[in-house]
Amino acid sequence: MARDRREDEDYLGPLKRLLLGVLLLCLLAIFIVWRIDSPRVERLRARVVDVVVPSFDWAMAPVTGTVNVLRDFQSYQRIHKQNQELRRELQEMKAWKEAALQLDQENARLLDLNKVRLDPRLTYVTGVVLADSGSPYRQSVLLNVGARDGIVDGWATMDGIGLVGRISGVGQRTARVVLLTDSSSRVPVRIQPVSEQLGVTQAAPGQAGLIMGDNTVAPHLSFLENPDQVRPGDRVVTSGDAGIFPPGLLVGQVVKDSGGRWRVRLSADYDRLEFLRVLRNPKAEVIGDPGLLILPAPVEIPEGVAEAQAAEGNDG
Amino acid sequence: MAEKAASRIWIMRALYLGLSLGIVFFQLMPLDIRPHDWAGPDLLLALPMAWALRRPEYVPALLVAAVMLLTDLLFQRPPGLLAFLVVVAVEFLKARSVQMREQTMFAEWFSVALVMLAVMLANRMVLALLMVPQPPLGLTLIQLAATVLAYPLVMALTHFAFGVRKAQPGEVDALGHRL
Repeated sequence: MARDRREDEDYLGPLKRLLLGVLLLCLLAIFIVWRIDSPRVERLRARVVDVVVPSFDWAMAPVTGTVNVLRDFQSYQRIHKQNQELRRELQEMKAWKEAALQLDQENARLLDLNKVRLDPRLTYVTGVVLADSGSPYRQSVLLNVGARDGIVDGWATMDGIGLVGRISGVGQRTARVVLLTDSSSRVPVRIQPVSEQLGVTQAAPGQAGLIMGDNTVAPHLSFLENPDQVRPGDRVVTSGDAGIFPPGLLVGQVVKDSGGRWRVRLSADYDRLEFLRVLRNPKAEVIGDPGLLILPAPVEIPEGVAEAQAAEGNDG
Repeated sequence: MAEKAASRIWIMRALYLGLSLGIVFFQLMPLDIRPHDWAGPDLLLALPMAWALRRPEYVPALLVAAVMLLTDLLFQRPPGLLAFLVVVAVEFLKARSVQMREQTMFAEWFSVALVMLAVMLANRMVLALLMVPQPPLGLTLIQLAATVLAYPLVMALTHFAFGVRKAQPGEVDALGHRL
């Protein structure tokens, strides 16, 4: 039944097959090039995302908004109960607010006494979440700030409260944030026991660990120095080891899962990631020439010796 | 008449592209950012397969390759690999579309499920061979099962909503060839 057609297209058949072969080879070549030289292809990916996603944005924002309104609408059914709960919470909050104001004033007085300057380098850029990863296997979001706004790979990203993830993949207008829940996310942290919270949290030593995302809501906490000393409810903050994240950013609280493994309940509100802060992290100062720090001024030493010592210092 | 048929091919190709972009759009919407331990169906895999079995000319390889490569890039997958496998699978189904026309719905469902399984296995095997970090097997299996379960729905939508139907005996294409 299909024979007469095939005879008609005899001259087209081989050409089509050839084109299909070329197409398949191209796809395979892209994959192999990606495997060999991933950074370059990832840059290409960032550029494609940069072009495609913002062009969706005009439609995506209203549709996302509408769906969220519909979800909120469902909650109107419980509105009376919620209202009462909120009032009760508001009462409690007023008491807290009073306490916070007093602490705030006390803190201001103490800072004034100390003439403390809080870390002036920690400024941030705020971005809006454009899109998520679109795949159940990857946990990331796309922000509407990019290289244009000075974003650099590796910077930490927070919502108002806690750490959310790190920048990985920067386009001209967009930047991808790999969330702490992604299975490739690893962040060095410190665990501060609850009792130490009352003291100075920044200076509390705490024990080091690593939080490893595994595609679940609560990332796994591992490489602890002494797992016995960890208690549920302990605070988890970034340690600043490796010099990528600034130290002392709140990550979350330690919890124990049903399998008895330590996990971190994240403080950032992953239900509603909408505005994210990207913390600027200028590279730590690099001391280029160790000889200049150790040696006295080169006036007193003959030139040859100074050079030899400088060379030694460089080697060391 | 011939012109009308030719323009219909292009309209249906545009419809495939539009539907795919629509699916991408809804998957990218930042509605729920928390990770889940389940995964929905991969409609971008089911759609071209259902169409290829009905009207191969509506889903040319180049178009399928372009859509899949774009989604590879957008969804943070290794670029090119899944696009390659899907194009191979769709072409495989196209080559069988004439025989498949006389089969029942269940036979079609079964063979498509096998092809989907083959795509998944090949994908994981290549990634394992090249030592690329992979998502957990359980999640992939859940997604495969969801895609297979969603296939009859895609078939129904393809048939009734988009009017992509199997060629009837004696139907001719734009140039008067038998289909």
